[in-house]
Amino acid sequence: MTFAHYTERIDGLQYLADKMELSGSRVRRYLMQLPFCTRKETLETHFDILQKALDILSDPAAQATFMQLQHLFSRVHDVRGTLRALKENRVLDEVELFEMKYLAVLCKDVAGICLTLAFPYDNPDPLEEVRMILDPDNAGTVSFHLYDSYSPALSQARHQAAATDPEKETEQWTRLQDLVAREELAVRKRLSSQLSSLYPVLSESFDSLARMELWFAKASLARRFSMVRPDLAGVRSPDDLKIEGMFNPGIADALSAMNRVFQPVSLTLGRGPCLLTGANMSGKTVVLKTLALIQVLTQFSFFVPARKASVPLVKDVFLVSGDKQDQSRGLSSFAAEMVFLDQIMARIRGGLRALVLVDEPARTTNPSEGAAILCALVEFMEDHHVMSLLSTHYGDLGLSCRKIRVSGFDSSKVKDRPDPSKMNEYINYSLVEDLSDSVPMEALRIARLLGVDESFIQSAQKYVK
Amino acid sequence: MPFVDQIILYGSLSVVGLGKNTGKTECLRYVLGRLSEMKKVVAVTSIGIDGERVDQVTSTPKPEIYLEKGTYFTTAASFYLKKRFRAEICQVDEGGTVFGKMITARALERGKMILAGPSDTDVLQQWVRQTPQRFPVDVCLVDGAISRLSPASPVVTRSMILATGAAYSANIRTLVERTRYVYDTVSLPLAEEGVRKKLEHITQGIRLISETGEITDPGVGSALVPDQVRDLTGTCGNGLYVPGVLSNALLKGLSERKEAGETRLYIRDFTRIFAEPGVFYSFLRKGGRIFQLFATRLLAICVNPVSPEGYRLNSAELVLAMQHAVEVPVYDIKRIEK
Repeated sequence: MTFAHYTERIDGLQYLADKMELSGSRVRRYLMQLPFCTRKETLETHFDILQKALDILSDPAAQATFMQLQHLFSRVHDVRGTLRALKENRVLDEVELFEMKYLAVLCKDVAGICLTLAFPYDNPDPLEEVRMILDPDNAGTVSFHLYDSYSPALSQARHQAAATDPEKETEQWTRLQDLVAREELAVRKRLSSQLSSLYPVLSESFDSLARMELWFAKASLARRFSMVRPDLAGVRSPDDLKIEGMFNPGIADALSAMNRVFQPVSLTLGRGPCLLTGANMSGKTVVLKTLALIQVLTQFSFFVPARKASVPLVKDVFLVSGDKQDQSRGLSSFAAEMVFLDQIMARIRGGLRALVLVDEPARTTNPSEGAAILCALVEFMEDHHVMSLLSTHYGDLGLSCRKIRVSGFDSSKVKDRPDPSKMNEYINYSLVEDLSDSVPMEALRIARLLGVDESFIQSAQKYVK
Repeated sequence: MPFVDQIILYGSLSVVGLGKNTGKTECLRYVLGRLSEMKKVVAVTSIGIDGERVDQVTSTPKPEIYLEKGTYFTTAASFYLKKRFRAEICQVDEGGTVFGKMITARALERGKMILAGPSDTDVLQQWVRQTPQRFPVDVCLVDGAISRLSPASPVVTRSMILATGAAYSANIRTLVERTRYVYDTVSLPLAEEGVRKKLEHITQGIRLISETGEITDPGVGSALVPDQVRDLTGTCGNGLYVPGVLSNALLKGLSERKEAGETRLYIRDFTRIFAEPGVFYSFLRKGGRIFQLFATRLLAICVNPVSPEGYRLNSAELVLAMQHAVEVPVYDIKRIEK
């Protein structure tokens, strides 16, 4: 599965992808094709590289050199077509030959800068041989034409053509021009065949330019959001997902635009299910989304939005929220949710190690069957030791699994007349262990805070059992 | 000719034909030749296809543009590859022309070329700005598209030459009148610095400018629909900024207002005026004023007395009549070459 797949499944991932400063669609394509990595050694190596890139970004002395590097990144042309032509042994035209020379000069410059920055990862080959082929006179410039020195026959034909008047000796001139074109083709054939033999190094250098740019874009993102390197080792409890002070970058940005602050939260998840309860508007969904985001970011070699994170690796991450209808297949939100959960469970039965995050399962059906579905889901997660977090409003389920709860409303913060638009200021988003079997009964209180008509609330109160 | 010295001073020039076969290409060829004699390095491009041997619309032979040795030129890759003279590729831009990749090259010997450069104003503007930074170029020349003045927009080049001629109108009086109209729009005064700074980043809708310089959006969109024009002219004050097209209906509406004489109208540049000459002059006669945020310097008007049908106007008579109507030098392009 690629990064592109996960941007469709995990909320907030596309937001971060959009925030990355990339020089163009060429590099964005590489980002979208990154594979979901499940190998710890690979990820540790990647995090070392990312840390090195971050060190360079944070070093004021390296700024000027880094700016040069970024400028070079922005000048890379998308020469996939030309590279494909070389791979298939086709004859390049003059413009394509220029593009190869240009790439070679650029790679040499980038390699030089990497040496200065002491950044030895994904460096392009300086392509010395390519430059020698395309700069026969050793002029050292990036410009290109089919030089006379490539072929005495070409040179001679050109001189003859130049000495002929196209107006007065039209026939002779045309004949000579055809000869020039033939000789040029012969030269292009020879150069293309020489370059074709260098296809592997040319192609690899082209790719490495994009990979290197991605490292710096990831580092820059980590800097912008104060993201940290996740700990994959988890020395003390290797199986626990343990996150301190996590935050959701997209939501934090949105809040910040309204002069509000995202309250970071901490939690630990072990193997097996955990229920998450909390009043409406208490941020349960955000907890689930942010956890999914952190897990996925880790496995795409990104730093993560938290103060500290210990992340065990999984083979896949599922975020299930019951409000997604699948109209293209004619499924209601409940049906879509059930089908998705069934697919996930089938894969887990097949031995898949996954992180499963479910937002209020079966919330769109009647409460008695909904609660039954939730209980069965918890049982399944228990039996299969699936690291999972399931949010719910259903209480008194008699389940023995672990439960955590959003602290919720802090009455002490509500002064005088509550302002409905500032609800989030009255909520303490931190998570606490919950030993009781009940759920917070705060729906009517919130409705009241939101300014809902009092007589209606009083009426509703009568029906509360 | 004196205007060639001025071109060097301004650093960039567009040559704009008021119609097909009005002598634009000859005019460009003349300027290129003169600059080459003066040992100036020139970069040249065109916003339409040009330099073809035969005019594609009228099938009449067209003068070919020869590029002197050392000239930089920008054209689409497909045209570049058809060249039959030596040139070196200096730069490739991934898009920019309607035909794809845009090549900037230097002629290593004299040769002729089909030029098909930047297809939109932004790319052209970048070309004019960056070419002298990238290459040792003294002057950037832009060959304007046929009957399309917009790419020669003053925001792009600092100076301009208009080419007009028998192909535009075979009657000297009509030709002079129509050219005079374009001349008058080009010559509209530049807005004062303060107003320009405030307005230049607004590119859509309509804005009202109060006596105290306050800028407000009347919320009538671009005032292109008659209803919007009516709403606007019924309620607006005397200061108005039209960032998009200044339509005939809007200008007419404005000149029919009681306060037409006090109206100050701001436009981006003369290329945005799409009004009939009668309406334009009526507005000005009533005392209304039009200011441009960006203006170019018109250096000369070149006339071509020959039409593609072979119709030939009296050169001396045409130049004299034209010279009476405008305050920039007028040349018969066929004559100054000799």
